[in-house]
Amino acid sequence: MSTDQFDSALDLLRRLPPHSTTSNLNRICALAPSLTEDLLSSVDQPLEIRRCKKTGRDYLLCDYNRDGDSWRSPWSNEFEPAIQDGEEGAKPSERVRRMEVGMGEAVDVYRELYYEGGVSSVYFWDLDDGFAGVVLLKKTTPSGKSEGGWDSIHVFEAIDRARTSHYKLTSTVILRLSTGGEALGDMDLSGNMTRQIEQDMPVQDDSSHIVNVGKLVEDMELKMRNLLQEVYFGKAKDVVGDLRSIPPLTEANREKATHQEMINSMKR
Amino acid sequence: MSSNNVAAVSAFIEGAPPGELADVVNDVKALTPDDRNLLESARPAFKKYNEEQLTAVKLPGGAKNVLISAYNSLEDGRYYDVESRSAFAFDHMTQKASDVRSYVLESEHKDLITSLLKPLTLHAHEHYPSSVYAVYPTDSNTLAILLAANKYSPSNFWNGRLRTTYLYTPSTSTLSGTLKCDVHYYEDGNVRLTTKKEVSETSVPSGDVGGVVRAIAKIEKAWQEELNRGFGRLSEGEFKSLRRQLPVTRQKVEWEKVGSYRAGKEIGGGRR
Repeated sequence: MSTDQFDSALDLLRRLPPHSTTSNLNRICALAPSLTEDLLSSVDQPLEIRRCKKTGRDYLLCDYNRDGDSWRSPWSNEFEPAIQDGEEGAKPSERVRRMEVGMGEAVDVYRELYYEGGVSSVYFWDLDDGFAGVVLLKKTTPSGKSEGGWDSIHVFEAIDRARTSHYKLTSTVILRLSTGGEALGDMDLSGNMTRQIEQDMPVQDDSSHIVNVGKLVEDMELKMRNLLQEVYFGKAKDVVGDLRSIPPLTEANREKATHQEMINSMKR
Repeated sequence: MSSNNVAAVSAFIEGAPPGELADVVNDVKALTPDDRNLLESARPAFKKYNEEQLTAVKLPGGAKNVLISAYNSLEDGRYYDVESRSAFAFDHMTQKASDVRSYVLESEHKDLITSLLKPLTLHAHEHYPSSVYAVYPTDSNTLAILLAANKYSPSNFWNGRLRTTYLYTPSTSTLSGTLKCDVHYYEDGNVRLTTKKEVSETSVPSGDVGGVVRAIAKIEKAWQEELNRGFGRLSEGEFKSLRRQLPVTRQKVEWEKVGSYRAGKEIGGGRR
């Protein structure tokens, strides 16, 4: 695999229709199999939902809780289906698992307050000088004339420093919206946006991490929600208006000229 | 080289956003450095893309853009333009025209096409800051009225295209059509707006080219206003119901409390 190939694959996925990211990702992996592993871990796709067999609670699937064809439920800490050949599957250490459980409970409260539904999951893993994790949130609106889906994927690293931790957060939101009708026809407004932030925050004990990561994720989602609003309902709509003007252009140009004349006369 | 690979590359070409076909081609080249013939094998996909997207092309020596479509293609793979009375070769991969030669359209609707172009030109100038439009006869005794408006701003990471295709049947004075809009925004992300509206057969004033274009203007205005309402509906409806801007309490989450009373009993216990 060359960096050229990898960068081209990412560029291609940034251009092709975002609602077909999963199928295009599979096509790219078939064309350049050596990229598969790196692409699967760096390209965000809409999250799948599974029901935990032990607890009956829903959880989300991603590359971070996957081992082969099995996924670890954050509620039971067990892989489903069980990994063959008596293998254990990668699990966090006892300490990091305790933080994972705590963060999972806290994000569950956060999800209820902001999403009023949906599914959330948190997965942590050990690093040599700290730990890392992913916070996942997903909600879809009931299907009807209009439909919508939101997937948040927050991947972070927490690197130990004296009395602080250095946090690096990469967040992606995948937002799919569509509507239609007799007069409108079909309208699909879908995509994803990614943002990054790095920050040092004070740490007293392990529960500090839950507070810190929680705040980082909450601030990031607020920022990204505003950004998505601007791009989806501001920029995209403006471009349509740039392509075609509802009021006749001669009229619009005349108004512009009159306006300019007024400004000029005021300057005199 | 497997046919799967050709199918994959063809799908990439079909999905290329407005004004970004060359970027997609460059990516495919870099992605498959050992397979030089792959793009060549996908040539039919390029042709389909250009004809469906109503690709605008400047003729060598000409000032105006002309459209590529299935309606102005000739049997030898060339395309013709009514206004400049010429036909030209077109490279679907590089989207460049060459070998322009004189070509005079033979059609029983020749005069009708000329007279339709007048109100159509006015309409295009009145509502499209930049567009390419044309009228071509089809095989089935109808006229294809085509328009494509493109606006590319790659330095600001967005590109847009609006296409309209109408079929006008003079003998029955009816009109049907399709309106499509495609907008791509890709700064630190990939956001795409795609819309498609089919207009079913409607009656237009008979023998009145101005009336045909007035009907088109009416269809487009109603659709665009509906599209703006669609933005409003998604913004106020689905977007808001997916995730609130703030919780009902209008206050951010108190993570200290959420962390302490819910999870603290587990974590706090781990530290003595």
